[in-house]
Amino acid sequence: MRRTLTRIVIGLLALGLLTGPVAAQPKTLSLLTWNIPIYKEKIEGWIADFKKIHPDVTVEWFDKKGPEWGPFYQTQVVAGTAPDIIDTQGAIWLDYASNGGLVDLTPHLQRDAAVKDYYNPKFLQTWVYEGKNYMVPFYVSKTLLFYNKGMLKEAGIARPPQTFDELLDAARKMTKGEKSGFMTLNFDWLYWPLLAMNGVELLTPDLKKAAFNTPAAVKTVDALAKATADGTINKVAWTGRWVEPNNAFASGTVGLYQAHAPAFFYVRGGGPWINGDTLGATQMPGGFATPNSHGLGISKSSKHPELAWEFIKLATNEKWAYTFGKNFKLFTGTRVDGRLMDELQKEDPLAASVMKTQLEQVDKLVATWPLGKDAQVKEAFYSEFQAAVLGRKPAAAALAEAERKVNRLLAR
Amino acid sequence: MRRARGTLLIWAFLAPSLTIFLLYRILPLLWNAALSVQTWSPFRPSKFAGLIHYEELLFHDEVFWTSLWNTVVFMSSSPIAIALALGLALLVDTRIRGRGVYRAIIFLSYPLMTVAVGIIWRWLYDEKVGLLNYVLLSLHLTQRRIAFLDSYEWAMPSVVVAAVWQIVGFFMVILLAGLQNIPPNLQEAAALDGASGVQRFRHITLPLLRPAIFLCLMIGIINSFTSFDLIYVMTGGGPNYATEVLITYIYRVAFVLSKFDYAAALTVVLFLFLLVLTWLANRVAGGEAGAVDAAE
Repeated sequence: MRRTLTRIVIGLLALGLLTGPVAAQPKTLSLLTWNIPIYKEKIEGWIADFKKIHPDVTVEWFDKKGPEWGPFYQTQVVAGTAPDIIDTQGAIWLDYASNGGLVDLTPHLQRDAAVKDYYNPKFLQTWVYEGKNYMVPFYVSKTLLFYNKGMLKEAGIARPPQTFDELLDAARKMTKGEKSGFMTLNFDWLYWPLLAMNGVELLTPDLKKAAFNTPAAVKTVDALAKATADGTINKVAWTGRWVEPNNAFASGTVGLYQAHAPAFFYVRGGGPWINGDTLGATQMPGGFATPNSHGLGISKSSKHPELAWEFIKLATNEKWAYTFGKNFKLFTGTRVDGRLMDELQKEDPLAASVMKTQLEQVDKLVATWPLGKDAQVKEAFYSEFQAAVLGRKPAAAALAEAERKVNRLLAR
Repeated sequence: MRRARGTLLIWAFLAPSLTIFLLYRILPLLWNAALSVQTWSPFRPSKFAGLIHYEELLFHDEVFWTSLWNTVVFMSSSPIAIALALGLALLVDTRIRGRGVYRAIIFLSYPLMTVAVGIIWRWLYDEKVGLLNYVLLSLHLTQRRIAFLDSYEWAMPSVVVAAVWQIVGFFMVILLAGLQNIPPNLQEAAALDGASGVQRFRHITLPLLRPAIFLCLMIGIINSFTSFDLIYVMTGGGPNYATEVLITYIYRVAFVLSKFDYAAALTVVLFLFLLVLTWLANRVAGGEAGAVDAAE
């Protein structure tokens, strides 16, 4: 019996040696992007390029619209099938990074110094949490001030505002009938430059306490509330999401509009009045801007983080960054952006005049607090801020309540 | 032996639906209740936290109370819709020409996708290009455009109107069926005895319609608790929580703020609230709501 068993084992071993090593398990990478189904053909190009280098790897691509993205990713994480590579917008990554859900890319960036240098350091810095880099730029944008040249001229205003007071003065002069002087996008701290230009800080430098409840902040919020009440600021600034404010500006009845650069393409599509003679773009007073970029990162649960990093490098390399920037007329937060800008100036001077603002004053980026509870702090602050600017609460009371809420959140 | 086989057969027939009920209702419910006493995120293992989330929502979370109140306000759309549906049912129950067409037209809003209803009403209410503002301005009923969905005062009533518009056709069909079940000889006898139309409505129609009205009320209440899509599409719960109801708040807490454990606690409260309402409704119905006559 023992002899028979030995023969069987030896036979199996010999068979194993003869047939060679067991075929390698096929590797699969998954990629989740944010509302760019229109870019399908090019993403298939990324995958084709990647397969040339890694023929044994299959790449699956999913794309979800903004409101669906978060629920989809979170449910995939719970199910243990989180996509390896993710494209996130704004500060969403902070929640994942602070909960240990993302791969720290710092060692990869240190190892690939040339790759690190390729990314714009100011934008790269916006994805740092507790000294670790969790994302790299995919495409970048920040807020700017659009202005309706016709309305400015009609109100006798020679140049776009340079200070907060000038901004409200100009807006007031342009307000009459159906027309309002100013409007802003309000999601993801996009309205924060209005407070930053008045010297308001959200938190103390150690990020442990609220620092915004100051006389300057009360004065600013009060001024915004008064301007909203008398129609100088269009109420949609505080209640609308993305489509509503953009539609309002596109209708030609708003003088000054603080929004991020991608809004331009939507507004131009819906505003027949818009051309180089009628639309201007500049920095907000003080040059302050809130970034609203998209980054690429790797889920902690990825079985192939090295391959995922290789894929990210490929998707953001010169060829594909250039293709992306060219396709969408956006910047990529990489060295390619200079070339994109030069070409845009020749091909679409109006878009170039808008996009130029995105490469300037990148040292004035605000509202980039590396805060794990960013979403919760944002909600706590904005709910009170919104109540104040819409005239539901006095500014001082709203800011005091916001301070209490934010401090309570930070202390937990 | 025969009885045991019969019991086995009953269980065999029940097993598929019971399994589905267990997997998709009972287990998630239990998991949700367990989650509500833990701290948990999709990225971290859970840790027992006791009643910390309940303490937070009861004593520190104003938005919870606002959304609970808004849910109760939103529930008020049910009686409005029922009253309207009753009027319409009485109208299309008369012998007017083309009543079938009228019934179909009134019912048409119900099968529409709620998201589509939300989008239609959002456009109707739009401050700049909305039909409603156009009509109000044209008739000089207002001097300024009204930001229906962006103002504290108008947002909730506007959403309630849309909700009523969608459900009224369905209620009308239920009430119409109820009306047609009332024996005509009762009305005729009362008329012969000299009862006026109002008296007949009060003392015959309304009491006999009670089961249908009760059914509408129950559907309306449950709808108002689960009406996520309409509010999400029309206002997203804004402005400044003016239309935030419990169900939209739960979604926001879970998927925007990533506080799944806290959302679980809110869901438990919503469940308890519904449980109490159902119990009350059952009491109002004489304790027999949902009972099925055993076939002999």
